[in-house]
Amino acid sequence: MRLALLADDAAVWSSRLLAVAVVLFLVVPIAICVVLSFDARDYLGGFPPTAWSLRWYRAFFDNPSYLDGLVVSLKLAVLATLIAVIAGTAAALFLARSRFPGRAALETVFLMPKFIPTVVIGFSLLGFTAAVGIRDAFTRLLIGHAVIVLPFTIRAALASLVGIRPSLVEAAVSLGASERRALLDIVVPLARTGIAAGAVMAFVLSFDEVAVSLFLSDPFTQTLPVVLIAEMRANLNLTIAAVSASFLVLTGTVLLLLDRTLGLDRVIGQGIYRT
Amino acid sequence: MMPLDRRRFLVGSGLGATAALLGGARLTPAQAAEQLMVVQWGAAWIDVSRKIVETYTKETGDKIAWELHAGGAMAIVAKIRPQWPNVGYNLISAWDPVFQAMIKEDWLEPVSLDEMPALKDIPPAFFQKDAAGRLMSVPLSTSGAFWGYREDLVDKPIESVEQLLEPRFKGKLCVPYPVNLTGLLMLTLAMQRGGNERNIEPGWALLKELAQRGQIGRVINNNSEFINAMSSGETSVAFFNIGAWTQVRKNFPTKILSRLADNRGFLFNEGFAIVKSDKDKVAASKRFANYFATPAINEMYNLPLGEGPTNSKAKPGDDIADVFYKPDELARYAYIADFAYMASQVDLWAKRWETEITPLLRT
Amino acid sequence: MTAGAPRSWGLVAPALLLLVVGLVCPLVYLARESLHPFVDGRALPTGWTVTNYAELLRPAYAFYFFDTLRFGLVVSALALALGTPLAWIAARTARSALRRAILGLLIGLLFTNLVARLYAILVTYGTTGPFSGFARLFGLSAASPGFAAILVGIGLLHFVLPVAALTLIGTFQNLNPRLEEAASSLGAPRWRVALGILLPLAAPGLISAFLITFAMCISNFVVPLLLGRGVVLFTTNLMYVRITEIANYPSGAAIGIIMLVLVFAIVYGLSALARRLLPGEATS
Repeated sequence: MRLALLADDAAVWSSRLLAVAVVLFLVVPIAICVVLSFDARDYLGGFPPTAWSLRWYRAFFDNPSYLDGLVVSLKLAVLATLIAVIAGTAAALFLARSRFPGRAALETVFLMPKFIPTVVIGFSLLGFTAAVGIRDAFTRLLIGHAVIVLPFTIRAALASLVGIRPSLVEAAVSLGASERRALLDIVVPLARTGIAAGAVMAFVLSFDEVAVSLFLSDPFTQTLPVVLIAEMRANLNLTIAAVSASFLVLTGTVLLLLDRTLGLDRVIGQGIYRT
Repeated sequence: MMPLDRRRFLVGSGLGATAALLGGARLTPAQAAEQLMVVQWGAAWIDVSRKIVETYTKETGDKIAWELHAGGAMAIVAKIRPQWPNVGYNLISAWDPVFQAMIKEDWLEPVSLDEMPALKDIPPAFFQKDAAGRLMSVPLSTSGAFWGYREDLVDKPIESVEQLLEPRFKGKLCVPYPVNLTGLLMLTLAMQRGGNERNIEPGWALLKELAQRGQIGRVINNNSEFINAMSSGETSVAFFNIGAWTQVRKNFPTKILSRLADNRGFLFNEGFAIVKSDKDKVAASKRFANYFATPAINEMYNLPLGEGPTNSKAKPGDDIADVFYKPDELARYAYIADFAYMASQVDLWAKRWETEITPLLRT
Repeated sequence: MTAGAPRSWGLVAPALLLLVVGLVCPLVYLARESLHPFVDGRALPTGWTVTNYAELLRPAYAFYFFDTLRFGLVVSALALALGTPLAWIAARTARSALRRAILGLLIGLLFTNLVARLYAILVTYGTTGPFSGFARLFGLSAASPGFAAILVGIGLLHFVLPVAALTLIGTFQNLNPRLEEAASSLGAPRWRVALGILLPLAAPGLISAFLITFAMCISNFVVPLLLGRGVVLFTTNLMYVRITEIANYPSGAAIGIIMLVLVFAIVYGLSALARRLLPGEATS
């Protein structure tokens, strides 16, 4: 009996240990990268650095391409998220409230882009837009990013909408509201956690998207990941470490703000069993 | 320097051009300020180019925007094809095979000695020509691809490529993809075993031997991967272009094997090609390229690259004296490959690499 | 819910339009491109041929497809296994600060650029990094090409773990804690509760998470590009090289189409299989 209890405790503690190990696994390389961003040497030498310097930060701020890339990435992410959330929520509303033979198939169709390799999406869009005459790089990028994040907004909204009782809408309609008002004023606000979660996911996915952006960028419109890769392949040096460290600070600040205002657990939702 | 939004740049330079035309500016009416988009290699190339352009911008008012080659220069051809003629580039830094490819596509503006006086000092053989014999490239550097090794990592000097099959080099070889250097790796290996561009089978046999014995440690795709592989000491022997070797030489003792008894050094030229798609910018592009070809600038450009200047009035750097050849050595040690032919084989060689070599490398 | 024919097709129009313009038409274009010939270094816009596909049916290319899928399966399984403890703690802990810390970490990692993360891994586990000894655990040296496969695995894991963990948190949150309490009050040890009760209930969510991570792994090409040392190549890399370095668009398109077909077959095949084996709600 005692052995069984011990084994049980061991199982619990080893799983906790595993969780800690995973956190370390995820965090340590990034920490090392931050330390290296202060390395004074010209090439990737041993760790820890023997001499310290701010030269890579200076190189980062002297190089306008990084900031240009950041601006493009942000604009793109915001617009793509907006489009995907609007189109996605509308589609989710439709899917949640209908029952017709092809419904499951339609849902599958909407979730399809999730499973298509982004390289395929990027290249096919490049060829198609060139053939059709859409030459503006930002437009191409916007279409590509919106398509990629659409499944996530639909899925997140759908997850929330499924839990909303139809009687609420019926009650509103019976009280005289048009169906549109019932949807906009009752259903959407109730589903806002799901929609918000979808929006956050969409934003992050668009911001981080590499393959599609690589194909659809042009010299004047490059997203940040594209700039990073171009600089990495042309010029592998520690400027990228400086860039990453700077963005880490930015991300940390944003997350702290998000936590203070919304509470991070609201962003992902509490699940149906939390009181 | 304030990061400037490129769209504003274009508008700004448009306004600037108008102002100049109305006769207000310090520029002569025939030369309005232009914005040129130039594609250049990273690392030392972009650094020295930016320095040179600082002075150029002050003198002429032209603004230069840079895009970096992300891999081999041939990749830019693949990028331009679907977009032609709506291409943003005005000048492209490239080398002989890429010049040939672009000439075949009819993308380039011919250059002439009248329009660009600095070209008069460049040996005619360096220029890439089209079928009608017109000059189509602006050669700025003489370069080459060579075998070499880090002297601090290899105990006994290497005298022949055959030695690379020895067990002491297991995992120590760094080689480029066939696409890089337009397959010069295949050529050097073929010539080691008595072949040439059109008889490349001996090269494949030697390559397979090297792969099977596990000699190949790293396959690289661009200058910075090369510099990192060799600087970190992961690999100690490699075949690549002298421009990249020079960056390694700056920090580590390196021997370049340009005078092998049973192989060659592969010479080629790098320089600018002027893209003809944007007619309004062609004159400014020619002015820009000409500037780089003048003796003093040509010398300054090539020093950090470790490449030889093309302008005969410019002096080559001291550090490459041991690498490049005196005129009497050319016949014995140097080789100028048939890049046009090799460029047509690259797709095939890349596929052979994927199917026959890469699987051998993972063991 | 409203039964019968829906009245509001207008709701679904924007999404459909986006899909048609952004996905369906381009894919049709891709299929057409894959049938064009590539002759003498140039892709020809007319003429039809199946050589692009025929070339890819050789066993050597099967190796690449196989390899890519293998990475996907292994890394996805690892991601689920390693992500579960962390996700469980986040889902079940009473301490809100711990929960928010874990969520913050995971979301923060998602926001951190993948390229930057891969660079960090390169620098950490490479020959000059502090963890270069890690390779020796596998009997390899950090400089050997065989290690590239491990590096790519680490990189992919870094890429998918946050997503897997976040999805799992969502799944675990929706498991009724009362069931665990009931089982333990009846005397079952924790591990039996986990395996006998929680696992079957969480299965649809686990499978969903697995499929998402799997799709993410095999579609990725940045990780092998930056960490593969030229030795580990995914089919996506083959596609990329063909398109950007050689300008052989037809061949690249053919690889793309084959990948598309394969991914769909595997994902929908696996979910159909799962639906048959597990009673209860359908997987996504």
